[in-house]
Amino acid sequence: MKLLFQDIDEPGLHTLEVYERRGGYKMLRQALGSAPEEVLHEIELSDIRGRGGAGFQMGKKASFIPKGAMDKYLVCNADESEPGAFKDRELMQKNPHQLIEGLIIGAYAAGVNRSFIFIRGEYAYQADILDAAVEEAEAAGYLGEAILGSDHDLSLVVHRGAGAYIAGEETALLDSLEGKRANPRLKPPFPAITGLYQGPTLVNNVETLSTVPHILRLGGEEFAKIGTETSSGTKVVSVSGSVQRPGNYEITLGIPAREIIYGLAGGPPEGREVKLWFPGGSSAPVLTGDDLDLSYDFDTLAKAGSMLGSGSIIVVDDSVPVVEVAKKVAKFYKHESCGKCTPCREGTNWTVKMLDRIDSGEATPMDLDILASVQDQIIGNCLCVLGDSMAMPIGAMVAKFREEFEAHIEAARERNQETTAVPEPIPLRGVNAGYAGAYPPMTAVEEMG
Amino acid sequence: MPRPQTEMVTFTIDGREVRAPENAMLIDGAKYGDVEIPYFCYEPKLGNAIGACRMCLVEIEGIPKLQTGCSTPVKDGMVVNTQTERVREAQQAIVEFLLINHPLDCPVCDKGGECPLQDITMGWGPGTSRFIEPKRHFRKPLELSPLIAIDRERCIVCYRCVRFSQEVSEDYQLVLLERSSETFVGTFDGHPYVAPFSGNITELCPVGALTSSPYRFRVRPWEAENAGSLCTLCPAQCNVSFTVRDERVMRVLARDHEGVDDGWLCDKGRYGFQSIHVDERITEPMVREGGELRPVSWDRALEVAATGLAEARGKVGGLAGGGTSNEEGFLLQRLLREGLDSPNLDSRAATSMPLELERALAAPGLQASVPDLEFAHAVLVLDCEPVDDAPILDLRIRKGVRRRQVKLAVASQRPSSLDPNAFLSVRIPPGGAESLLVGLDTALSGDGEADDDAGELAAFLRGAGEDIVILYGERLFSGPRGLHAARALLNVAEALNLADVGGAGLLAIPASPNGRGLREVGVLPDAGPGLADPPAKGGGAQAIARGLAGGELSALYLLDVDPLRDYHDRGLWEAALDAAETVVAHADQMTEAVRDYATVVFPVEAYAEKEGTVVHPDGRVQRLRQAIDRPNQVRAGWQVIVDVARGVGIDLEALTSSMVSAQLFAAVPFYEGMTLDGLAGHGERWPAREQAAAVPAGASAPFALEDPPGPDEGVAGLLIGRYRSIWASKEIDASPALKFLTARQLVELSPADAQRLDVAHGEEIEVAANGHSVRGVAHLRASVPEGVVFVAEGTREQGANVLGDEARVRIGKGP
Repeated sequence: MKLLFQDIDEPGLHTLEVYERRGGYKMLRQALGSAPEEVLHEIELSDIRGRGGAGFQMGKKASFIPKGAMDKYLVCNADESEPGAFKDRELMQKNPHQLIEGLIIGAYAAGVNRSFIFIRGEYAYQADILDAAVEEAEAAGYLGEAILGSDHDLSLVVHRGAGAYIAGEETALLDSLEGKRANPRLKPPFPAITGLYQGPTLVNNVETLSTVPHILRLGGEEFAKIGTETSSGTKVVSVSGSVQRPGNYEITLGIPAREIIYGLAGGPPEGREVKLWFPGGSSAPVLTGDDLDLSYDFDTLAKAGSMLGSGSIIVVDDSVPVVEVAKKVAKFYKHESCGKCTPCREGTNWTVKMLDRIDSGEATPMDLDILASVQDQIIGNCLCVLGDSMAMPIGAMVAKFREEFEAHIEAARERNQETTAVPEPIPLRGVNAGYAGAYPPMTAVEEMG
Repeated sequence: MPRPQTEMVTFTIDGREVRAPENAMLIDGAKYGDVEIPYFCYEPKLGNAIGACRMCLVEIEGIPKLQTGCSTPVKDGMVVNTQTERVREAQQAIVEFLLINHPLDCPVCDKGGECPLQDITMGWGPGTSRFIEPKRHFRKPLELSPLIAIDRERCIVCYRCVRFSQEVSEDYQLVLLERSSETFVGTFDGHPYVAPFSGNITELCPVGALTSSPYRFRVRPWEAENAGSLCTLCPAQCNVSFTVRDERVMRVLARDHEGVDDGWLCDKGRYGFQSIHVDERITEPMVREGGELRPVSWDRALEVAATGLAEARGKVGGLAGGGTSNEEGFLLQRLLREGLDSPNLDSRAATSMPLELERALAAPGLQASVPDLEFAHAVLVLDCEPVDDAPILDLRIRKGVRRRQVKLAVASQRPSSLDPNAFLSVRIPPGGAESLLVGLDTALSGDGEADDDAGELAAFLRGAGEDIVILYGERLFSGPRGLHAARALLNVAEALNLADVGGAGLLAIPASPNGRGLREVGVLPDAGPGLADPPAKGGGAQAIARGLAGGELSALYLLDVDPLRDYHDRGLWEAALDAAETVVAHADQMTEAVRDYATVVFPVEAYAEKEGTVVHPDGRVQRLRQAIDRPNQVRAGWQVIVDVARGVGIDLEALTSSMVSAQLFAAVPFYEGMTLDGLAGHGERWPAREQAAAVPAGASAPFALEDPPGPDEGVAGLLIGRYRSIWASKEIDASPALKFLTARQLVELSPADAQRLDVAHGEEIEVAANGHSVRGVAHLRASVPEGVVFVAEGTREQGANVLGDEARVRIGKGP
């Protein structure tokens, strides 16, 4: 079943003209004709869960926004940075108006008058398309004051991020939008109560908002019937890695994973087997080839110890050492940790150093216990989920592929015995040069004192 | 605005039922049950918790994940565990994580011995580390500024310093750079972190990453003692504790007092202590012989002083300022009034106010307290610059605006650093304060909405709420029409009903640190102790200067004050000092007047050496306690005055400092019943005491106001405004570490005027009027109104007081 990807390859769908010809903005008209509560009710009936990663019900989140006159905000999280995720890119590039329509309806339902799309800076092409689409929508009266003659106003600003994975975390995104360093905030208070500029803020993923017009078209109850009981609707899944036909596929939630990886994406190349796969982006604990028959929905994957996350499947075949995979994942999260909370800042750094040692043959199997224990020390102790996002897949890899890790350590040690490694000198950081010349050097100050 | 009320609730912590204030954060609530929750980043003074260090994780029944004690409020019936295996594991994990990049250089670290990281590692850490990889390395230490060294290897990224810079002092200079384990604290492009409150970050730092350069490698905490006292370098009188080693002050720390400083210090207070221990300090008595000051014995110095003063009986003037305590001021007025029949006394630099207005302004109901600035509905900063005049109040106002939604209005001559925080900013043309107040009074009492500045201000104040605090500087009343401005201010206070509302009132920043105390103990020409009518009235500062210059007076007693630097009209004072036959000066440094004109110089105690009391601008009588021995031959100031008095034939009946205090408490009716013991620790605000009713009633508002003189239109030249920088004081000049900040004559001009006059930023220019001139550096400021120039007062050289009362000046490039 295709909802979001209906007509996705229609030439010119990104223009208002084609989008309207395909029935676009009808649902907005319909929504504006009914009360906001009714629209919100339909969304609640649909049971749609957030497509960004956390999987929280959108209707419920929107219903937390306080009623009454105050500055309220809707922010579309288009900072798609999770390794393996590229669904929002296609949705924004090919059908920006679908997102804008969904966003306007969502804002109407939540009683919001100001909205933003926070798009990652690297998506410059998509941001240009969005800018053009917003301009078209404004000219057509879908945005701005008194939308289509109703008494609802909505401003929409497309804001380009400055390049940080952590800005995809909703509170860090809000900080970034406010012009600050993208650091996650302490929760509670949650953004629905105290968000952007201290106002109630609804933060939704691109795909979630893009689904909203379809929910109204089908009706909430009808939409809820698609998929499984607790995972309603369709999902755009990005499949990448060792598959023959990588790409975005819209699936009905609840089909077996094998059908996606082998059926849609063609499976690994000839002669290779699925060794492990990330069901929901690089932050999801890995599953193995034995788990391919799991139903691809929120709850089944959670029960299997992993998560659906943003619905980004990364397939790794048996030609790749698991240590390589672990290093890739750990290095990414180490690089992207904001550094605010201790376990994430130090834990990701330590993990990378340990994995490097494991890879270079300077470790012993005992280090695997430390590696696993460090992941345990991170999980649940961090300010936001970034630390967990590294610790969970690494922890799962060590648990599920311990023998391979041990063999890797052994092989690397043997290799090392043949060549004696010369320890590298500790490099001094280049960025820490002080100010020069403006004031007397420290020694002079000391003498003065 | 009503203060938040707290209710006590019962919750369980580690199996014990504890009563604690509702909504206190668990870290604080736990203390009510004698439970300590370790933490690094939590610091309520910095605002809401940020939960960065994760050290304070605790287990709360009913919540699956561990929660941070810094951000979880205490609720009734809550069950908290801090000792379970799970919590212990988390705590050990965090300590292990923090230490993996922390160098183990405790033996050479200044923080060693008073380091929270050391303490918590011992108390809650795992005892060992499994980390064997190389730690991260930075070049160390670097100068973050000339005052602060930063060792980035030691930093545990707790965010405290950055939050201070961003959210408390709002100088926005410190930032975190890079991400993840590469994160480090720095400034944009490596610029030095120079700001009025920068030193606080060294006290906030929970490790040895930020250290004070003047303190580095000089003291180990276990060899030092902390002695609580006050900083009397400015009227804010922050509570401090001196770290003392071998009778030397090694550093100054804040001694948290919510009613005074809120736990912060400015850099002048934090580093100005160095002036106590410099070679330039006067530590022995001197007498002028053959035109030069020579060290002499105490007996001789006392004899010369007593003889000179006795000869001038009836023709003596006395001035007090600087760090003069109430006791010294009290004895000085007794000496002059009772011993020398010369009631010519003053403690105000530029104002003279009839006693009835002085009393009206001191009415207990009108006095706002420092915390009122934070909890008011609205604050009006009137003709003062808190960051220069009483720096710590600047932070308090910012806190109110940021965290308590206080509405701020600024009405000042010079563009204020608080302008960006203000709801309304009004520029007063120099000399126009009276006009503004008269206009404000008219607008407040009338119904019409005037659309001028005064009208806007009136509309703001009327709509802001009932708790309004007006913070004004003594400068407001300077000049010959000062009393008219005072009357107008009292009218405004009356119109806003400030006297009857609890959290509202006036708060005046005097020009000298103990200005309020000196007035209250009788260092005024027309008032005795307690603002009572004196037996005989004398002349104030201006009259003394004229008297000396004209020969009606012949001797001058200076208590820690240099009229050539601190007082108005330098030309007049030069003539006065020149004509005076005897000038007795209590001084700690050879300032100009002392060096060139004093007949006898008595060395004075530095503030860390003093016993006695002072009065905060909000009426809090605070106690100075001696932290270190007096060096060399320095004697206590009160003792010197008593000895001089004996020499002129009067026994002041004081054998100890506390006997003077007792005399003083008995003589000032609204201090009655105070004791030094009672003042220890936190002092006491007299306006809040029952005895406050003993303040003599002053003239009562509303007054009929005169029309203020109109602007002198058509006169050539720029209007001159005067300002005094926080960095303009003799203590800054003498402190080696602060020398780089010493205030120079910066002449502030608007870019438009500068262009018209062909003056470039940074160029040396001359400001001249009627044959007097000062030289300074042109400083172009976009926010300076056109047609106005601001000239610095109190600088060591080229101070604005050379220009006297001139209202307009010419700018030239000089010879």
